[in-house]
Order: sequence, then C-alpha cells, then structure tokens
Amino acid sequence: MSILEVKELKAYYSTEKYGHIYRVRAVDGVSFQVHKNEIYGIAGESGCGKSTLLKAVSGLIKPPLEILEGEVAYNFDDKILDILALKEDKQRRQVRGVRISHIPQGSMSVLNPVRRIKKSFEDIVDAHQKIKDRTCFDKMVKTHLEALGLDWSVMHAFPHQLSGGMRQRITIALATILKPDIIFADEPTTALDVIVQRGVVQLIKQIKKEQQNTLIMVTHDLAIHANLCDRLAIMYAGKIVEEADVDIIFNQPKHPYTLMLLKSLPTIGDKSIRASAPGAPPSLIHVPSGCRFHPRCPEATERCRKETPELIQVGEGHRVACFLEEGSK
Amino acid sequence: MVFKKYIIPRFIQYITVLFIGITLVFIIPRLLPSDPVEHQLNRMTAQGQYLDPAAVEEMRETLQELYGLKGGLFQQYINYWKRLFIGNLGPSFTQFPTPVVELIKISLPWTLGLLLVSLMLSWVIGTMLGGIKVSFPNSILAKIMEVLAMGMRPIPYYIMALVLLIIFAFIFPVFPMAGGYSMGAKVGFNLRFILDLFRHAFLPIMSMVVLEIGGWFLQMRNVASNVVEEDYVVYAEASGLPKLKIIFRYIMRNAIIPQITGLALNLGFIFGGALITEIVFSYPGIGTLLYSAILAGDYNLILGINIFSIVGVSTAMLIIDLIYPLLDPRVRYQ
Ligand SMILES: Nc1ncnc2c1ncn2[C@@H]1O[C@H](COP(=O)(O)OP(=O)(O)OP(=O)(O)O)[C@@H](O)[C@H]1O
Ligand SMILES: [Mg+2]
Repeated sequence: MSILEVKELKAYYSTEKYGHIYRVRAVDGVSFQVHKNEIYGIAGESGCGKSTLLKAVSGLIKPPLEILEGEVAYNFDDKILDILALKEDKQRRQVRGVRISHIPQGSMSVLNPVRRIKKSFEDIVDAHQKIKDRTCFDKMVKTHLEALGLDWSVMHAFPHQLSGGMRQRITIALATILKPDIIFADEPTTALDVIVQRGVVQLIKQIKKEQQNTLIMVTHDLAIHANLCDRLAIMYAGKIVEEADVDIIFNQPKHPYTLMLLKSLPTIGDKSIRASAPGAPPSLIHVPSGCRFHPRCPEATERCRKETPELIQVGEGHRVACFLEEGSK
Repeated sequence: MVFKKYIIPRFIQYITVLFIGITLVFIIPRLLPSDPVEHQLNRMTAQGQYLDPAAVEEMRETLQELYGLKGGLFQQYINYWKRLFIGNLGPSFTQFPTPVVELIKISLPWTLGLLLVSLMLSWVIGTMLGGIKVSFPNSILAKIMEVLAMGMRPIPYYIMALVLLIIFAFIFPVFPMAGGYSMGAKVGFNLRFILDLFRHAFLPIMSMVVLEIGGWFLQMRNVASNVVEEDYVVYAEASGLPKLKIIFRYIMRNAIIPQITGLALNLGFIFGGALITEIVFSYPGIGTLLYSAILAGDYNLILGINIFSIVGVSTAMLIIDLIYPLLDPRVRYQ
C-alpha cells in the first residue's frame, strides 16, 4: 500500500530580473509512489532539485517557489489528503510535524540560536498537542531522548554549545518526537565526519524500526543509499530518470546517467582513479531540449536531442526514462 | 568569562572615547584665532564704557581664570581635568554667575523627555513594522510602509521639523509654535499642566518619530528578511509551529539583536537630531540652550554642553552594549 503518491509534479522557482522572468525548473514532471514502511531514497547531483522536490511534497511552498501542476496525495489511516489542494495554510501546519516531518538540509543551523533545546521541543509538542502537564511533557521527551541515546542535560544547552553531530541527533529527535507517519530526511549526514555519519544512519534506522514510519532519504551519497534504502530514485535536472529496488540499481542499472554515477563510486581494493561524471549538470533555467541528459550521454542519438523520453516500466518495479530501453523492449 | 572578554574591553573603550572626546573639546577652541577673553573685553569697551588700563588688566586676569585660560597650555589642561572631576564647568557668561552645570540641569529634563519618548516610540514601531513587512511581505500595509520609509529616510531633521511647524502650528494652528509650556501656565503636577506639556511636546516628538521610524523599519526589514531564510525558521515552518510563534520567537527575536546594536550606533546621530529639532521648535532643552550660547558667544556654556553630550551619549551607548549579551546567548556563554 502506498502512503504517498506524487503525480506529474512541477515546481518552479520564478525570479524576476530587469523585467524578465526567469524560471528555474527545479522539479519538472515527477511521479512516484512511496510504500508504507519503506525507506525510499532519492539520489542525484547537487542542484538537480532534490530539496525542492521534498519542499513541494511536504507543502512548504512560498515564493519564489510555486507549484505549476501536479498532485501530492498522502494516505493517512486510509484517508486521502491532497496537501497541495489544502487552501488554508493552517491546515497544512496541522499535518506538518505530526504526520509529515522534515529533517532539513543544513541541519547544523536548524536550531534557533537564542532558544534552549528544551524550548525547541516545547514549541513543537505544544504546536500539536498543547502541553497541559509539565511532568508529562518532561517524561515524554526523556523517554524519547533515552531511546535515542541522548542525555537529558542537552536540554538546557543553547545550540552553539553543542557539537555538529550532537545538533544533528537533536534535530532528528525533534523531527521524530511526535512519531510522524512519514519522515523526509534531506542530506542528514552531509557535513558530518564519517564516524558521526554512521551513528546518524544507525539512529535513523533505529527510529524507523521503533516507530514504524516511512522514510524518504535524500542524499547524493550512494553508499548511504546502498546501506539504508529499500528503493532508490535517481534524479537528473528536475526529473526522475530511473527508479528501482536498491539492489537492481546497483547491479543492473539501465540509465546511462545511473551508470555514470555508479562508475564514479570507489570500490574496495581498486586503486585506479575513478572517472567522475564528465560534463556539468545543466542549468535548470535553460534546460537542454529532448532528453536532458543528452549533452553528457555517451550514447545519445538524434532522437534524444529532439524528444523527451517517458519514465517507462522495464521490469518488476523498475522504471527508466531512456530511448535505449524503449527500443530493447 | 563574559566579564573578561566582553565587559572589560568595552569599558576600556568607553574610557578611551571619553578621554579623547574631552581632550578634543579642550584643544579645538584653543586652535581658533579668536580669543574669548579679548572678545569679551572688546565688547565691553565697544559699549562705550571707559575703563582704566589697570582695571582692564585685572579684568583680563579674572576672565582668564574663569575661562580656564590661565597659565601654560599644559597647566590649563591639568586644571581642566581637575575642574571636570569636581563637576565644575565654570560660570556662564550670559547669565553670570550661574554655573554652566546649573543651566544644563534645567534644560536636561526637556531634552531627555523628548529624546526618550521619540526614541522608544520610533524604535518599537519601526521594529514591529519591519517584522510585519517580512512576515507578510505581500500585505498592502507592508508595501505602503516600504515606500514611505524609503521616501522619508533622506529628509533632514530640520526640514521635517519646519514642515510640521508650518502645517500644524502656522497654517492650521492646532499646536503651539514654540516653547515647552504656555506662558503663564501654573507649573505643577496637575492634569491641566500635563496636557499643556503634551501639547507642546507633540510636534517636536512627532517630527523625530516620523523620521526615525523609517530608519528602524528599513534596518529591521533587512535583517529580518535574512533571518526568514535561516534554516531554523524554515525548520519551524516544516514542524508546523503556529505562524505567530514563528514571527515572534524565531524571526523577530533573532532580528532584534542587531536592532539593539543599531540603537547604540545611531544614538549620537539621533541626539544631534533632537538638538536641531529643539532649536526649530524653541523647545527649552539642551539644543536651544546650545543655540543661544553660540549666538551669545558664551564660551563656557558651549564647552560645557559639548562635554556633557560626549559623556551622556557614550554612557548611554555603554549601557546598551552591556544589555546586549543578555539578549544573545552566543555572547553570554563564550
Ligand atoms: N530560492 C531559490 N530561488 C531560485 N532558485 C533556486 C532557489 N532554491 C534553489 N534554486 C535552484 O533550484 C535548483 C534545485 O535546487 P535544490 O536545492 O532543489 O537542489 P538539490 O538537488 O537539493 O541540491 P543539493 O544537493 O546541492 O542540495 C538549483 O538549480 C537551484 O539553483
Ligand atoms: Mg538539497
């Protein structure tokens, strides 16, 4: 059963400069489904629209970001909720933090610098459950922190007094205190050292196991995806180009871009210099015609320059947007 | 830690500023070509009084003594500080022998009242409006405010004061033209007198408030529009906190820290503005006192007001700077 279904979502940033409107087509016709209880990964180079996709899907839309078309439907307890159709900002607020929660990119600075950690916990709990009983609140937070291996003493600290890894753990604790149904994690391990990274991945796994929630994990670090995710989507220039079970992506990738990404990964024992993906990701203001990957694709044909390939089913739960696959089918 | 790293350096800075400022007040008049003692003597003889040379000499001695111009430069400088420490700024010459300190004391409450009320009003209103502008960027109020603030900001204090004076005291005589209270009003703590005070203070205060709101508004807008982009505000949104809480506890609370620094930085400028506004409205404060002292060439009074202003403004800035760490935990605990 799917908990989230995204259909043909288009989210652009519109900025005006000297009377000319520029559109950054950060998310351009994306469709996917996330099943209940799974960990769904989204990978792609920097600037391909991963964070924008998360923002759009969780209804965090404010100028210059706008939704042009598409549908984002959640299924909470068999009730369908179309978050983009919610007219009132207030209704969206009621969902965020409780049903949907977000571990944002740049988690180093997600804690209000002038508020003690405890206040941040109070803010989020109070926003959704109205704290009536202090001791009850303390107990709730304490159990949660203990479960995550965090010490109660951090509650009295200000963010700047804590290390980066600690702040990241606290952000995760905050994002999960209300046991959300679905968690969006945007690069939760970037900017942390490898040891702390592993700890954070462990923590996320553990929460997922305890709270039985669904997790959408965004990172450009394929090793983390391999370690954590059930299914993986590869994004390129605002579109999903391939989606499949993690094993399939790593063992039988179909899209030339996925191949290129995987080639740039180091493997143990191999000392040769890895080929980094040649070329640069395209500007999302002036996107290439046809398949967006064609200027960098070793196998591009005339057709790729003119027509845009659809994301089509090529195997059990395996979707690819490439004419090569269409031909071979 | 805070004490050593923040308070002590700030205090040393304060003392240095005072020392330099007060020394400059000593040096600058002595660089001027006109000698106040000769000026005074000339004025007396010009009035047609006949004085015999011995009496003139004696007079010169006394005047030099009173002006602190006796002895060598260094001796004068030492004496200058000595007199300052006992709070003696010498006598005024236009209102001889009233001490300068006495005159300042009489004028001070007027200036203080004007300054504090206008500063509070403009700071609070400007800061709030700036926060509203950023929280509701598309509201009509926000857009009007922005245009107004941009247009008002370059207007000098005296122009604003004159415009208000002409419109509301001359063309439409709703408010009095000048003074701190009506001629012949009975001074006392009663409603009638207080209302009278208020009526006289209204235009001077308004002319300052209207100008300063714009400045505070624009500064708050700039700072807060950066705060809105901060990860912690985005996160608060993503966690579904109520909008009002985000505005006050996340956006405004963080943006207000630079507003406090701005208060300290702009205090000197605002003080100057208050003095000019007083002159336009003939308000009985320090500004008007200074103006008449300059017109009458009351040397001691001019110097006294200068010294007093330096001490007053730097002390206020020091106090604001000492409050600042209470608002920013990053300074408090470093
Ligand atoms: N506020 C904004 N205004 C205009 N353009 C923006 C804005 N935010 C992001 N963009 C553009 O949208 C595109 C997608 O950005 P996004 O942050 O979604 O990328 P990302 O995949 O998350 O990258 P990263 O891995 O670096 O986080 C980029 O080209 C970026 O320049
Ligand atoms: Mg991102």
